[in-house]
Amino acid sequence: MQNRPAIVAVGRTKFGEHYGKEPEKLIEDAWLAASNECSIERKDLEACYLSDCFLPITNKLGLEEGFLSELTELHVPMEVTRSFSAALLTACNAIQAGVYNTVLVGGIEKMTDRWDKIRDDLMLLDDPWSYYAGGTPESNHELMLRAYIKKHNIKGESLEQLNLALAEVTVKNHANATKNKYAQFQRKISIEQVLNARKTAHKPLGLYDFAPISDGASALILTSDSTAKKMIKNPVNVLAIGSATDYLNYPKRADLSHFVAAELAMKKASQTSKVAPSELQIIEVYDQSTVMEMVSLEDLGLCEPGTAWKSIHGCSNCYNIGGKQVFVNTDGGLKANGNPLGATGGAQIYEIYRQIRHEAGERQVKVGDGSPRNGCVLEFEGFGTKAYVSILGVNRDE
Amino acid sequence: MSSEPIERRVSYLGDRLKACRCQSCGKEYFEVRDYCSNCGRKSFGKMDNIDLFYDKGKLEFCTLVNEPTNKFMKLSSYVYGIVSFHNGKIRVPARITDQLICKGDNVDLESLEGREVIPRFRRRYTVGKNEVVPTISLAFTLADEYYPHQEYTVVQPSKEYELPGIVGYGAYTSRFRIKEPGLERAVPFVDEDSVTAAVEAGKLSLIHSGLDSTWVGKVYVGSESNPYAVKPIASKVAQVLKLGEEDGDVQGVDAVDTEFACKAGTSMFKDASALVSYPKSGINYAMVIGADNSQAAPRGCPGGELDTYVGYGGASFIFGKQDVIAEIEGWYSCTSDTPDFWRRDGEQYPMHGGRFTGDPAYFKHVRKSACKLMERLNVKAADLNYFVPHQPNPQFPIRIAKELGFKDEQYLPAIQITKFGNTYSGASLIGLAAVLDIAKPDERILVASYGSGAGSDAYLLRTTSQLLDKRKRQKINVKFQAENPFIEYIDYTTYRRLKMGM
Repeated sequence: MQNRPAIVAVGRTKFGEHYGKEPEKLIEDAWLAASNECSIERKDLEACYLSDCFLPITNKLGLEEGFLSELTELHVPMEVTRSFSAALLTACNAIQAGVYNTVLVGGIEKMTDRWDKIRDDLMLLDDPWSYYAGGTPESNHELMLRAYIKKHNIKGESLEQLNLALAEVTVKNHANATKNKYAQFQRKISIEQVLNARKTAHKPLGLYDFAPISDGASALILTSDSTAKKMIKNPVNVLAIGSATDYLNYPKRADLSHFVAAELAMKKASQTSKVAPSELQIIEVYDQSTVMEMVSLEDLGLCEPGTAWKSIHGCSNCYNIGGKQVFVNTDGGLKANGNPLGATGGAQIYEIYRQIRHEAGERQVKVGDGSPRNGCVLEFEGFGTKAYVSILGVNRDE
Repeated sequence: MSSEPIERRVSYLGDRLKACRCQSCGKEYFEVRDYCSNCGRKSFGKMDNIDLFYDKGKLEFCTLVNEPTNKFMKLSSYVYGIVSFHNGKIRVPARITDQLICKGDNVDLESLEGREVIPRFRRRYTVGKNEVVPTISLAFTLADEYYPHQEYTVVQPSKEYELPGIVGYGAYTSRFRIKEPGLERAVPFVDEDSVTAAVEAGKLSLIHSGLDSTWVGKVYVGSESNPYAVKPIASKVAQVLKLGEEDGDVQGVDAVDTEFACKAGTSMFKDASALVSYPKSGINYAMVIGADNSQAAPRGCPGGELDTYVGYGGASFIFGKQDVIAEIEGWYSCTSDTPDFWRRDGEQYPMHGGRFTGDPAYFKHVRKSACKLMERLNVKAADLNYFVPHQPNPQFPIRIAKELGFKDEQYLPAIQITKFGNTYSGASLIGLAAVLDIAKPDERILVASYGSGAGSDAYLLRTTSQLLDKRKRQKINVKFQAENPFIEYIDYTTYRRLKMGM
């Protein structure tokens, strides 16, 4: 492929509560880390793509491009999207079209600056009619679980195993996060804690089933394949990004038991990259809830609909899907790594990049004798309203 | 921080649950659309408007919300889910209302799934005191509980009467009650207020009358607990109930709020009757509603004595000259400037004249209007079947009834204060509804309302045979609500919390 986009550096901040830092400061930290890694200067940047889901609301910032311009002291083209994957997709298109050669892709969110109203905002922006009816950011996940259970007629012992499997998702993600210095939560939790939280809430899902709100930033440097090889050894290529959109109002969707947008995005990404779902070695899914992690395994085509919980149940740090080990959310996922919306996708890419380049330290997974050669990132905007599937890998042409 | 145009648009769709259906493929949408996404351009202009306001749905999936978003905090914990209509053709988000769930309560969510539910018009969420009060009908109650589903079927009128009169009515009170020695009182759920009661009563009266709502040319709403100092309740009633011919998003109906303490509703009976009788008015039907979330300061505070009797509810009466169930034979009203009960602008609770609310106020005026009317029409207490007095407490109506020479069986059926409390503008109306629920054809009813300030309206009604025909249409009558097995009793603290509303 001509001008195949390649990532030459990644950087991120710790996710969590950055009480004392302005959003500009966070993106600066992420950019510095990334540029440092590949010894790039800001004057080398030809364009910037920044993502934030709702800085204009949390921080009353209307022109995010402005502070990026101040930060880099550049006047190059800059565009803002709502998710990191959307920014990356736009950047990839530009590189492939030959418009630019080296660009910055960054993501940022400062949710705790509006901690008191954030749940209202999240719900209202995700799905206004559900908000008007009294929905919360958590309730759609719980309704999806109910729809999943009913559609696949899961009962009795199977239902208990499914509920246990969802708890295991969280336990695994928290355990992975303890090996990630940037993760928001750095402690292991037990199955009992997850189950007890559900009991306390008197609901199908409890505190530990949901990702937190977070502050944070992430960044990467994207260039074309040929330039990348001059800059570093073993750049990681973006093989494909698939994207799809679904209705804003969740109850209106045709199938409430999964995310059709994720399924469609995966099909496109898989087609373009020629990487079949079964060939994926490491996966970052968008686990805003444990239910999301479960159904995403099915939407990405790894498991048959209605069966993912069977592959999850009883596994410790990786899932056993069809006799094959599949590593999911090795950085702790949104649940434990954190979920600063606009920056989340950057952290997911960060993890795949590190894993493929064998730079993941304690978290490094082994596929056969070496590090994984490909990886996949699923990112959503809203409650499955938009889905992006990015497939990264080392260049297969070599 | 709510925006008025957004409020208007959300209410316009959400209060009535407006939907549409494609004429060619039958696909349905919860919203008003110009074309169908299945059929594309060729369906342009071929979408039928439907709405789900009188429909029933099915609760598909549900969960518990016990940490609501900020604006729903006053609801504490509630069941939230997805409701489908027309076998799943339309699905909407749904809050189940009229359920008091304490944090920490276990709710059997699975047993709720699959149950039938009814959309109810309620307040949407909490906003600032200077903002527009948002409403919505994405609040549902279970169809097999307090408020069952009733079909709304339009029936063409068949008979013209010489005198105008009542053609349909409905009374509404909430599911919640506080029970104290001597009386029970209706308590609004936290998302109810005088506006929602007015709409509910109006809805029930349309169902009972069998009238097409577009035939109603005027609506009067009497209340002393309008959440607004300026902005009518009647406009909301007109829009939600689609009164008058709809043209664009405007209803061809005259709507007005009235206020005269507890007689704001009854006062309009004569205006409505006169209006439908005036040949040039072009108005065949007029709706009169009296509804209140009766206000009272908490016990122990000035004005807190009222807290012993205040209730919640309202009733709606539709007047016309066709298919009349009770003709109006005559009326008499009297007024004097007697300030026995008042609420200054900006004050939250009313004050009253204590010992002087009786003889120089209630008794003087009710006695005057009832006696004058009987004298004018040359009837005696013994000639009448029922007497409906205003009922601010359990003692006053009985004392005046006896004084006027009525026997127990003539006035006791009207005494509803002991079941619902004093519903202010709704009080004598609910009493009248209770009597019409049981009256036989060709019976005579004397109504004597009272409004502090002060005045009284007396009416003499004579029932017709059509009373019995229409009775079948109304399951949710006064007795049904008074003796409903799904009534939930609450303590004083909860009562105050619910009454304060969102």
